[in-house]
Amino acid sequence: MIAVLALVAGIALGIFFEPTVPAALQPYLPIAVVAALDAVFGGIRARLDGIFDDKQFVISFISNVLVAALIVYLGDQLGVGGQLSTGVVVVLGVRIFGNVAAIRRHLFRA
Amino acid sequence: MTDTRLRPDFLTELFSDALDPAYAAAAARRDRQGAAERRLSLVLRVVTLVAVGFLLAVAYRQAVAAEPESERARAGLVDEVRDRRADTDRLQTEADRLREEVARQRDAALAGSEVAQLRNLEAATGLGKVSGDGAVVRVADAPGSVDPVTGKANANLGQVHDRDLQSIVNALWESGAEAVAVNGQRLTATSTIRLAGSAILVDFRPVSSPYEITAIGPDSLARDFENSPTGRRFKRYIGAYGMGFEVKPRSDLTLPAAADPQLRYATPLHPTPTPSATGGR
Repeated sequence: MIAVLALVAGIALGIFFEPTVPAALQPYLPIAVVAALDAVFGGIRARLDGIFDDKQFVISFISNVLVAALIVYLGDQLGVGGQLSTGVVVVLGVRIFGNVAAIRRHLFRA
Repeated sequence: MTDTRLRPDFLTELFSDALDPAYAAAAARRDRQGAAERRLSLVLRVVTLVAVGFLLAVAYRQAVAAEPESERARAGLVDEVRDRRADTDRLQTEADRLREEVARQRDAALAGSEVAQLRNLEAATGLGKVSGDGAVVRVADAPGSVDPVTGKANANLGQVHDRDLQSIVNALWESGAEAVAVNGQRLTATSTIRLAGSAILVDFRPVSSPYEITAIGPDSLARDFENSPTGRRFKRYIGAYGMGFEVKPRSDLTLPAAADPQLRYATPLHPTPTPSATGGR
């Protein structure tokens, strides 16, 4: 419950303050969102499995976002452009799908 | 699954069990050691989720804002092009006015025979406005056809190209034309008619279909042109490609002067005492 409220509060803050993203950070935004979604779905699934851990959740969020940003930065510097981030999206996407499938099994028993 | 190390086949594990193994490890550790302090971890969790929500909202706004931004940039460029074009037109009329004034002053200063000679030279070189009888040639792209299945535009064989205009203009000169203009752009001895992408540029200014080539010349100009090889060729194009082509004699045509040529080698004989506003032209 608190978790949902916090999420809604964060979205409200984002809408309310209308922050402008500096141009230098813009390429990192989409991949950071995917990383954050992975952390969130991982957390939900762990909660339903009964093994949720706050520290683990926080660390997975921070490290996901940082590693994703690092990979985008590396891709830029190496000149391979979006291809490294494609790898990030594939891995995180597979994980998100797997976790959502587990969540679905928990909620609907199907 | 308490082993937190990745197995050699990381991808297989990723597909079979997507949950971060660290969660299971943390749970096992908790089982062994008992719950840690709850308050601090709750605060951490809330802060993280607020951050996630914030990130989502910002990313959403960014994605929504990104689309109109490119649109805005395009619209801005279009506006700028329009502004510049209006500027060019304004400057052109200004130049024409000044040129007329110069011609008037010169006529006042010079004797009659010299004025007449100058006028003739100007008319021949395209530097002066000329009027008289002549012919109008209209040539237009064939209407484009669209493939009914793919919806893509077919290659239009009846499109007017730069070399079409070139041959028409050359045929007009050959038929005795004294002055020629394409869509109101007067041609001189150094004029260019070129293709840039799909646009035709006459002296670097774009002209578009339908093209109207006006020429001043002898009374027989229209007839001579129609019977020239080029005229006959374009008449065949009407049937073959659907190109629009029409030649008509017309009286009382007025062709504007061409843009001032840039003097590349000529220099003033005596430096003028009055400073010129336009510099070395």
